[in-house]
Amino acid sequence: MTWLIPNLWLIPALPLLAAGLGALLKRPQQRLASILSVGAIGLAFLLACGAFAQTLSEHAERQVHNFAWFHFGETSLRLGWILDPLTASMLVMITFVGGLIFIYSVGYMARDPNFTRFFCFLSLFAAAMLGLVISNNLLQLFMCWELVGLASYLLIGFWYHKPSAAAAAKKAFITTRIGDIGFLLGIVWLYHETGTLLFYDHGAGCLEHGALAKLVAQTTVGGMLVSTAISLLLFCGAVGKSGQVPLHVWLPDAMEGPTPVSALIHAATMVTAGVFLVARVYPLFNAEFAISLAPSGTLPPVSTALQVVTWTGAITAVLAALIAVAQTDIKRILAYSTVSQLGYMFIGLGVGGPAVGMFHLLTHAFFKALLFLGAGSVIHGFHEEQDIRRMGGSRKFMPVTFATYAVGMLALAGFPLIFSGFWSKDEILHSALKWPASKGPFFLALMGAGLTAFYMTRQMWFVFFRPRTDFRPDSGHDAHHVHAAPDSEPHESPSIMTIPLVILAACVVLLSIFATPVWPWFDAYLAGHLSHLHVGWSGDGTLVIVMLLSVVAVAFGLGGGWALYSRVQDGEARDPVETRLPGLFGALRERLRVDEFYEATILRLSRILAVSSDWIDRFGWSACVDLIRLLTIGLAWISRYFDQSIINVGFDASCESVRGWGRLAGLLQNGQAQRYLRILAFGIVMLIVALAWMGDSAR
Amino acid sequence: MDYPGLIKLLAPECLVVLTALAVLFADLKFWRGLPSAQRLGRGAALATVGLLAAALFIGLGEKSADLLVGTLVLTRVSQFLKLVLLLLTLGTVWLCSDTDFTEHIGEFLALLLLAATGMMLLISTENLLMIFVSLELVSLSLYVITAFNKRSPRSAEAALKYFLFGGMAAGFMLFGFSLLYGLSGSIHLPDIALALRTKGSDPLAMAAVVMVLAGFGFKIAAVPFHFWAPDTYEGAPAPAAAFIASGSKVASFFVLVTLLQAGMPGAAGSGAWKAFVPGWMPIVAILATASMVFGNLAALAQSSLRRLLACSAIAHAGYALLAVMAEPADAKPALLYYVVTYALTLVGMFGLVSVVEGGDGADSISQLAGLSQRSPLLAVCLSVFGLSLAGVPPLAGFFGKFYVFVAVAKSGPTLSSFWLVLVAITMSCVSLYYYLQVLKQAWVAVPVVESAPTRAGGPLVWVVSLLAFAVVLLGCVPELLLRFLR
Repeated sequence: MTWLIPNLWLIPALPLLAAGLGALLKRPQQRLASILSVGAIGLAFLLACGAFAQTLSEHAERQVHNFAWFHFGETSLRLGWILDPLTASMLVMITFVGGLIFIYSVGYMARDPNFTRFFCFLSLFAAAMLGLVISNNLLQLFMCWELVGLASYLLIGFWYHKPSAAAAAKKAFITTRIGDIGFLLGIVWLYHETGTLLFYDHGAGCLEHGALAKLVAQTTVGGMLVSTAISLLLFCGAVGKSGQVPLHVWLPDAMEGPTPVSALIHAATMVTAGVFLVARVYPLFNAEFAISLAPSGTLPPVSTALQVVTWTGAITAVLAALIAVAQTDIKRILAYSTVSQLGYMFIGLGVGGPAVGMFHLLTHAFFKALLFLGAGSVIHGFHEEQDIRRMGGSRKFMPVTFATYAVGMLALAGFPLIFSGFWSKDEILHSALKWPASKGPFFLALMGAGLTAFYMTRQMWFVFFRPRTDFRPDSGHDAHHVHAAPDSEPHESPSIMTIPLVILAACVVLLSIFATPVWPWFDAYLAGHLSHLHVGWSGDGTLVIVMLLSVVAVAFGLGGGWALYSRVQDGEARDPVETRLPGLFGALRERLRVDEFYEATILRLSRILAVSSDWIDRFGWSACVDLIRLLTIGLAWISRYFDQSIINVGFDASCESVRGWGRLAGLLQNGQAQRYLRILAFGIVMLIVALAWMGDSAR
Repeated sequence: MDYPGLIKLLAPECLVVLTALAVLFADLKFWRGLPSAQRLGRGAALATVGLLAAALFIGLGEKSADLLVGTLVLTRVSQFLKLVLLLLTLGTVWLCSDTDFTEHIGEFLALLLLAATGMMLLISTENLLMIFVSLELVSLSLYVITAFNKRSPRSAEAALKYFLFGGMAAGFMLFGFSLLYGLSGSIHLPDIALALRTKGSDPLAMAAVVMVLAGFGFKIAAVPFHFWAPDTYEGAPAPAAAFIASGSKVASFFVLVTLLQAGMPGAAGSGAWKAFVPGWMPIVAILATASMVFGNLAALAQSSLRRLLACSAIAHAGYALLAVMAEPADAKPALLYYVVTYALTLVGMFGLVSVVEGGDGADSISQLAGLSQRSPLLAVCLSVFGLSLAGVPPLAGFFGKFYVFVAVAKSGPTLSSFWLVLVAITMSCVSLYYYLQVLKQAWVAVPVVESAPTRAGGPLVWVVSLLAFAVVLLGCVPELLLRFLR
């Protein structure tokens, strides 16, 4: 299997090839397009499994393959592939979840006229995301990072004829770009300090001891360590991509894209790229603590960068969960829930390290993809209705969707023991409780857990349990109604859509095996000591307390939600929370007016700047330009005078001579071989003479 | 003397000769009665088999050898370059497949293959006599295939001019060689280098240098030895012109740089600004500058596509000559990358020329008008070739120029050779104008008369598209080629 490392590029190359070929297909070739894309990601999945197996067998030894892309003089730009547990687990997750979503999309998009384009974009996205994961160079990662951004832009705006979709695509692109500025600055700075962007290069990489020690040894403005400053700049990119406060605003709007896109890009994979980035460069974030040259007494308990990560995650987790409580669009609720869960992942990274954050990333990918696909199935069944207040009772119409959705919902809410979401969230809570810096994130996360259970209960009630009132036909028109529009009844989706749901639901449950305190396999796998893994209780006393607390929080959320909402029968009625806390609910429904706040501050500022620079342009610069224009005209008059009376006379004379030269050239190249040969001989003689003359003058 | 070993080392060349004879024989004996398109197809197929077999032998065979005191010198680079030559020959062979300029198909292909043999021998020797003999083999074969379109008086005229010019240049070169022999008492390049170390600035050595450069200046069409080029490119059949512009140039440049840098390092002199020292450097500098200036300015005025390519070939010879003056370690990779990518581009260009001309042989640039409508694929290929010749990134032509300019700017004392780079860059700006004129015809201009849909045969379009792809690929990943040339 050693050929796999140098050939790791095949994994992203396959979907890329599918995207390239897909771009050439004509619209009616839907079958071919779907076979190409699904086939490519299927093959990529097999390769990813191979890679995964390799990391299992070799005790997770990190393997890299670096090569020179091109040389500038002495320096060369080197890229590389990396295979370690982090990469392998992401590869398997992306290709597996992605493959299921591809299959689901075949059903979901079946009637879209731009079916082939959709699959082309999907494959492009998969290629970029896989490329991002296997990069062993920060620049290479950044390129793929931008490519996934592009694919996301294209897919959010897939229905570009809808103005809201076009606007959402732009918003997503621009907002993430704001974070990317920080990211790029961080990359440049890192390169400036360490001279390499390879992560691991047999001791010379930027994440290895030598480079980190150099970064920790220097300070910059405000006494901040350089490693901290660079980490925070890189974190800006992660904040943008992973929708953390304050750059979370694009993610809910991104739901304008087709639902499989929301599932694949804006829940399972792309938005987790930020988390992956932090996990990948974790040694840099942690450098202050791990490789500090300061005397041990002055060490902070946790590195500054990781504190920022944790607090950002905690605030996001709670705020987004709060906002989700007051939303009515089924996909927006899930979008805010995604933002909130991404916050959890960052808490996990900050307090517990890559294994904790990454496990939640993986479990979340499965259950959130499941939820989105389930939501897609519901939307499909309700004929493109997305408002949960107008749904209801679909438990009966869509048994498969209901059952699988319930699995996803319980996993997201953190229902104990058999759902993977419980274990991954529990690990985060446990680590947060033990965090030396502060107990704040723990309580915030616990509160978020309760809120999550609450808003998911609300959603389940509205979509699946509440009896349907508004679609119920009048008794007199019953027969007529059915005849007029037999399609208008909600219906279960075709099996090409439900089978992926069932598979995902099964995985959501199965994954819970891998991180129980009894057998913390995943932790050991990521940390690279799989061989020391023992079956048996590995937790301590605090773990039991955490589990109990989280169960209480979840139970409180579920029970509270059920108690409040199970009495709501009419979708148009006021929300029970609204009746009790009208002010807060209103603010939450308005999404805390973050968009409006940006509109009033940053956008207004930018507009003012635009207007004023336009004004400067018009009156300031143009005055200069006008002045120059006038000067030029004046000069032109003078020069025209010169021209006509002085130059022209001379020009005529010189034209004559140019024509003469032209004639001479014509005479030279006149097709007469004799003359050519004469010139040849003459040339040789002249060259010899020139040499002789040069020799003389040199002496 | 180890004959089996010699045969083994020369197996690729022998195979190409055998293929030439086989094509000749098969065509005369078996295919006489067939229509010419079929004869061409079969001949090309047979030649392809032979060329691929030769390439296989090169791939499997020895990578370096030095036999009979420099008579047969194989290096990694020269072996790779042979592969390139075989590839160019293959491209040229398939360029013929769509034309009908001659009924003597066997002879044409055989001469083409013989010329290829000459080129392969030319780059695998460090012996003056072998250089001369192989050069003559190349030249004589090329004279004949230039004249192959017997229906066109221009073809005969072109061949005659080419022949007369070549004969005279060869005479000078032989004179130069004999002077070198007289000075050093040897025809082996390293020995000559040793001898010239003491007699570097001898006037006789200077005369020899100029005469040798005249001979090679003819092969690579550098000013003032360029006069044959426009007439020959215009009159020769397209495949012949393609081969003259590609394979012959690659081989000649390789020998030129070997000859100058390995054979006459003592007579180098200096081409630095205001610090000329007599030697071959200033001569090369003069030839390069004159070629760049004359070639580009003359190309501005051309209305015939072939003459334009000829003038631009003169200009490109000037750019490539710059690389000869770089430090030895940089010179070969930069020069060979440049000429190899240039040769690929020109074979593709001549393929396009033969498509555009169709049967009537008119090759004015305005024939291209509306090509993007008639054949979008060919129009894209034309753009790739044109922009690559103009040196637009990320195509191969850009990196070729870039490496050459960097290599020259680095050589000698700080920035002393920079004036050459300045001239070259200025002249490449000029060249962009006429290449864009060609592209403008293809993409923007509306055809004056409704021309027939371009008759684009299968193999020809394949060759052209593959070459265009290669030009893009080598531009994006120059390392693919460069690592073989270092």
